[in-house]
Amino acid sequence: MHIPDGILPASVCLGGYATAGAATWYSLRKIRRKENPREGIPKASLLTAAFFVASWIHVPVPPTSVHLVLNGLLGVVLGYYAFPAILIGLFFQAVMFQHGGLTTLGVNATVMGVPALLAYYVFRLRNFLGKGSRVGTGLCAFLAGALGIGLAAAAAMTILITTMPAGIGTEAERTSIYALTLAHVPLMVIEGAFTALVALFLQRVKPMLLEG
Amino acid sequence: MKQKLFVALAVSFILVAIPVTAFAHGARITYQTRTAIEITAAYDTGEPMEGAQVTIYAPDDPSTPCFTGVCDENGRFTFTPDLSKPGTWDVQVRHAGHGGIIHIPVGEETAAQGGTCYTPLQIVLMAACVVWGLVGTALFFARRKA
Repeated sequence: MHIPDGILPASVCLGGYATAGAATWYSLRKIRRKENPREGIPKASLLTAAFFVASWIHVPVPPTSVHLVLNGLLGVVLGYYAFPAILIGLFFQAVMFQHGGLTTLGVNATVMGVPALLAYYVFRLRNFLGKGSRVGTGLCAFLAGALGIGLAAAAAMTILITTMPAGIGTEAERTSIYALTLAHVPLMVIEGAFTALVALFLQRVKPMLLEG
Repeated sequence: MKQKLFVALAVSFILVAIPVTAFAHGARITYQTRTAIEITAAYDTGEPMEGAQVTIYAPDDPSTPCFTGVCDENGRFTFTPDLSKPGTWDVQVRHAGHGGIIHIPVGEETAAQGGTCYTPLQIVLMAACVVWGLVGTALFFARRKA
């Protein structure tokens, strides 16, 4: 999921920075139009911390293992704050642990951040099911959480497959990328369930905290 | 007596001095001590990167791979750098879109071992610092207006 340095060609890295820049600009513009843009910062900051740590939580899916990403959860709880939050979280993961990389920061932010925004839109569908409905909130949160990680895994796979360098063991590398992407299917269920739990908990104790 | 000894010496000298080339089918095997570098690649969970693609670049040509190969089931791969090309050899390991690059100095400053990883204590400390920074930010923006 976190694409490290030296894997992608320079043009893809630059393109990633361009899309990440555009998405950040869009998110910040939406945030500025809020009544009180600073209101969401504490929540966003705490969830950035959760996102930063989540990638250390590994879920074994034989024959490999995948780690939590929580981008769907960030989208559900933070709304437009999710994109800057993911960008900052990824930056710290890259500089501290070489988890991802600085040249691929834009690509990774796009791959995880844009699905987070889509997850936010999916979660807002609960308004059609009745805002107070627990079933509606739980269902939409589950879908949003699963969609966030699923789309991110699919996007990362597409980028990796299409930019595969010709030559050494391409077939083996492609097979292992497919295997790793398939391993994210159980993770979709886990993240969807976790997102639903958090959303339902917040709706019970502090519904104001839920965006949309 | 002295003459006999002389003949014996002469015969043994001739026997020893017969050129080796006289035997056709002789195999020419020589040896030379060289330095090999073994790399071990594992995920940060400790799981070895079995079957990972290894690409090695020599210092004089950083764009064309010098050696390529695949890690064994323990995530190990061994290569012998050409010592006439001192400098930094770049070793890239990639598996399912994950991987990394390690820069190995070869030449006068060759280190016995090296790596790209931190100890668990360092990782926990660094993660704690970042988390505390983020929590501090949250507390700062959540403070009550005076």
